[in-house]
Amino acid sequence: MSLPPALRAALLPLMLLSWALVLTSTLLRLNQPAAPTGLATPLAGLLALAVFTAATFAYQRSRPDPLRGTDFVGLLRRLLLGPGLLVLVCGVCYLLERFLVQERPGYEQQFFAASYTLNAGLFILLLTYSTYAWRSLVLFRSSSQLRTQWRAFEVLLALVLVRLFVPTFSPVANFITLGLIALIGVYMSGNQRWVAYLNRRQKWEVLLLQLGLLLSLMGFSAYFLHVGSRLQGIVPVQQQDFILNLTLMATFFSGMGLLVTLFNLPTAGVFEQKREEILSLQRLTQLIQKGQSEQEVYTMLFDAAVQTVSADAAWLEIDDETLPLENRAYNVRPEQSTLIRNLLAEYNLSQIEYLNNDLPNSSGFRTLDLGFGSLLVMPLRSAKRQYGSLYLLKEQRHGFDRESLSILQTFTSQTVLSIENLQLLAASIQSERVKEELKIASSVQDSLIPKELPTDNWFEISSHALAAKEVGGDFYDFLHLPGRRLAILIGDVSGKGVTAAFHMAQMKGIFHALMQENPLARDEREKFPVPSKFMAMANRALVHCLERSSFITAALYIIDYEHGGFVFARAGHCHTLYYHSIKEEVSYFRTAGLGLGIIRTDSYEKHIKNQFYDYNPGDVMVIYTDGIVEARGANQEEYGEERLQQMLERTYYLEASEIKEQMLADLNEFSKGQPMHDDQTLLVIKFKAAQPETSN
Amino acid sequence: MKVTQTSDNNILTLSLDGELDASSAVLLDTELNKPDVLQYQKVLIDCQRLNYISSAGLGVFISHLQRFQDAGVKLVFFNMQEKVHNVFEILGLDTLMTIVPSQAEATAV
Repeated sequence: MSLPPALRAALLPLMLLSWALVLTSTLLRLNQPAAPTGLATPLAGLLALAVFTAATFAYQRSRPDPLRGTDFVGLLRRLLLGPGLLVLVCGVCYLLERFLVQERPGYEQQFFAASYTLNAGLFILLLTYSTYAWRSLVLFRSSSQLRTQWRAFEVLLALVLVRLFVPTFSPVANFITLGLIALIGVYMSGNQRWVAYLNRRQKWEVLLLQLGLLLSLMGFSAYFLHVGSRLQGIVPVQQQDFILNLTLMATFFSGMGLLVTLFNLPTAGVFEQKREEILSLQRLTQLIQKGQSEQEVYTMLFDAAVQTVSADAAWLEIDDETLPLENRAYNVRPEQSTLIRNLLAEYNLSQIEYLNNDLPNSSGFRTLDLGFGSLLVMPLRSAKRQYGSLYLLKEQRHGFDRESLSILQTFTSQTVLSIENLQLLAASIQSERVKEELKIASSVQDSLIPKELPTDNWFEISSHALAAKEVGGDFYDFLHLPGRRLAILIGDVSGKGVTAAFHMAQMKGIFHALMQENPLARDEREKFPVPSKFMAMANRALVHCLERSSFITAALYIIDYEHGGFVFARAGHCHTLYYHSIKEEVSYFRTAGLGLGIIRTDSYEKHIKNQFYDYNPGDVMVIYTDGIVEARGANQEEYGEERLQQMLERTYYLEASEIKEQMLADLNEFSKGQPMHDDQTLLVIKFKAAQPETSN
Repeated sequence: MKVTQTSDNNILTLSLDGELDASSAVLLDTELNKPDVLQYQKVLIDCQRLNYISSAGLGVFISHLQRFQDAGVKLVFFNMQEKVHNVFEILGLDTLMTIVPSQAEATAV
């Protein structure tokens, strides 16, 4: 439906030309009133006017939409202050014509004709501007159906032009045309969605602008009606009727627009409230995303709630005592809130949603004489817990409706959601911190495990330690004693995690403290405690710090390689696996011995024994924790002492480190794909022939 | 793990079914902590269906050992599987606690 650019460019010159022709025709006709010829004929004048009107409409139609965004007020203001002011030109023309007639009598007809033609042109201009401004408004966010209907309306308007060329237009036809246009016009007016987008202030502004526009149109109408009697012989009858029809239509439509806005005025408040609610919800939602503090979220809820339902007084109760109390009460005295809270508690109504729209006539509240008519209590609750309650008061009765109730429900659930979000965030930060601390604990514990294994030419030693969690309960340590002796301690604290790690560190401390030379010792052998003595002393030391259900298993070996023997005591720890090179046999030292911390009296000493053994070069000793033999396989069966024994039977001839590697490889094969339940520690010691000349 | 209780003539029998690890140890501890447990002369633990005991499980018995002794209540284990018995033995608990092969012997202790 859009015109080609070349034609569009020709429209403005065409408008000017056709208007000039109308003026010329009218003026010429004045000179030949009897038998006008050529341009002076009424038909030529009417034709020029029709072209002018059509060109003006077409020009206006092809211009870009005057509505910018949703600036309806701006559109109307531009319309009134632009084309609307043409009415002033009309008025000035009229006065000027009157004045000139006084000054130069004899030319009044010419003056009048010129003035009339100018005004008709200006009026048509204003009319086209208004029509297309109106189109922008009617078609704002409209359906395509309405756009089609608008085109039909334009065709009807074009039909009015026919009016110019029918000398005697029957009143019935006239009535039908105008009636149809009016009907479609009313229908179109009903589709003015734009009014809903205005707030109250804008609606008043629009109303005034429309009133101004109406006045402007009425100014023109008044002029045309006023000068009607003087048009005989100057202006063809059809032209006069045409202009009058146009004024009628224009006044009708602008009157319609005025009424639509006027009737929409009372709804402005509702729309604004809804808009405010949406904005409040939006603000609340944004707070969540920003991840601000709980205090801010509560303040936001409180402000939004009070504003949205226009409460006269309100307060917010939060069960969390750690949050500061400021900004949580509005227009309410502490004694009032206490009274209300106590009354609700008395009726067992606290912690639930409660609405009372008629306080002065409710038994309990009447006696309180609060000066309020309505009360709404909204709990802040999630599936898991209650965070607090929001109390809203209004002076008038029936102050809260279903809408305010539902919007408050949305507010509170949104708030609870954001509070829980914030708490989750805080919790995850906390757990991150704990993880970080565990990492530190883990590295501290790692530093407690000896990194440098004792090396000497009379033995080989190889170790492996793996914790099931960040920190574990397994430990081992070495200590060189004077007189070519080496103390080896291995142990396992029951339980896992930080507590176990603490006890493990304690055990290491006890080991180093007890394995000190006793200066009062009478002979060389008593300078250091024998293993059973050590265990008894350790048991006594642990009694004070080990919780009732915890215990520690340990084994202490003191190897004297000068004499080629060792002594050990087993305090509930796993049996020692041993390869006897002379007997060529692998077996466990099945000795008795109670774990530490199980008996908390001195009778513990009865439960621990020393075991002496003289080793031979080539013997292999395997020391480990239960994480090795209790490792689970695919069918949940345990690795077991037997399989470990078989492993040593197959590998005893290898170097200590190789024996360890093979054992671990077999263990990993066995427990492949299974989670690790317990810490694993494995020490392999292989004795070699003592070489006194190079050792120590 | 499942703990089934039967009581008869001053004897309380707890049957353990499954694995006694850190989580089920809490359950057993609650059972043993009940004050009326100390009203019995004997508390028998039926270990027939006990497949595994962790150090936490052992800790429960250890922590109640002194309490039972002080109250004069005998704690007796019976029907213990070989591998579970091995765990008791390694830790040295077999010298502290009464472990017998069958229920009849447990009742007779």
